[in-house]
Amino acid sequence: MTLLASPLAVVELACAALSAILLVAYLVIRPPLVRATKIGLLFGLGVFPIGAAFSGNVQGFEATKERVFCGSCHVMALHRADSDDGASGSLASRHARNAMFGSENCYVCHANYGMFGTILTKAGGMRHVWLYLTEYRNTPLDEAKKTIHLRDPSMMNGACMQCHSTDDTLWLKVPDHVASLRDTRAGNLSCASEGCHGLAHPFFRTPVGGEKR
Amino acid sequence: MSVPRDRWLVVACAFALAALALMTWQIVDPTVWPVIVAMSIGQLLGTASFAAFGCVVLADLRAQRRAAKGPGPPKTE
Repeated sequence: MTLLASPLAVVELACAALSAILLVAYLVIRPPLVRATKIGLLFGLGVFPIGAAFSGNVQGFEATKERVFCGSCHVMALHRADSDDGASGSLASRHARNAMFGSENCYVCHANYGMFGTILTKAGGMRHVWLYLTEYRNTPLDEAKKTIHLRDPSMMNGACMQCHSTDDTLWLKVPDHVASLRDTRAGNLSCASEGCHGLAHPFFRTPVGGEKR
Repeated sequence: MSVPRDRWLVVACAFALAALALMTWQIVDPTVWPVIVAMSIGQLLGTASFAAFGCVVLADLRAQRRAAKGPGPPKTE
């Protein structure tokens, strides 16, 4: 419901309401198709709905970054619950408590980075929808938490390194960081592996030789 | 057999109202299915309704132009 506080949401609701008023008025009165009727319908069927669609699309894209959105598929319920849990010490929850990540922590950590990161992330999201519809829709949560895995685990270090650059002197003072620097940068050793800072989600396990998704 | 323009406009209004409802749903409930439905079916219905309106207006303008020209010259036998 906090989305209702967004200006775009207000614009969309206003456009939708104005359009609905014009359309219902037309359906009730059924005036002849004179110039005034055409202009009214132009606003009711064109201008206001296009305004609603434009603001709604932008708002929709913003909504896809929210943890509420990611957690709305039942197989993500545990991931979401852990991030929501202020007392959890998992990486996911700790990042969710950071204002830089906040309610968008799923997206910030899992989004592709780079020039076409947003587009690739959205395309990847459609793959998630497809997999959910074809494979996970009826999967019980207990089974899902054992079988869901990252499509490309080696990519994840890149997301970590957007903030933790691996060039910082403090970071390089940690002997384990220095010893694993090359593997960390190459994505061969996950920052969120069990021996290091993970797991990102307390129940999550990456299958050995993870199958590509 | 052609469908009267009024009927097309009623269908366009109904489609547009359905599209608006779907697009508004995603604001109230920003979860996966409302957002996907709004951005696919909602957009499709909205576009179809506007296209139908455009067709009706074009057809009306053509009819008006034809009427303004008046009937053609009488046929000679």
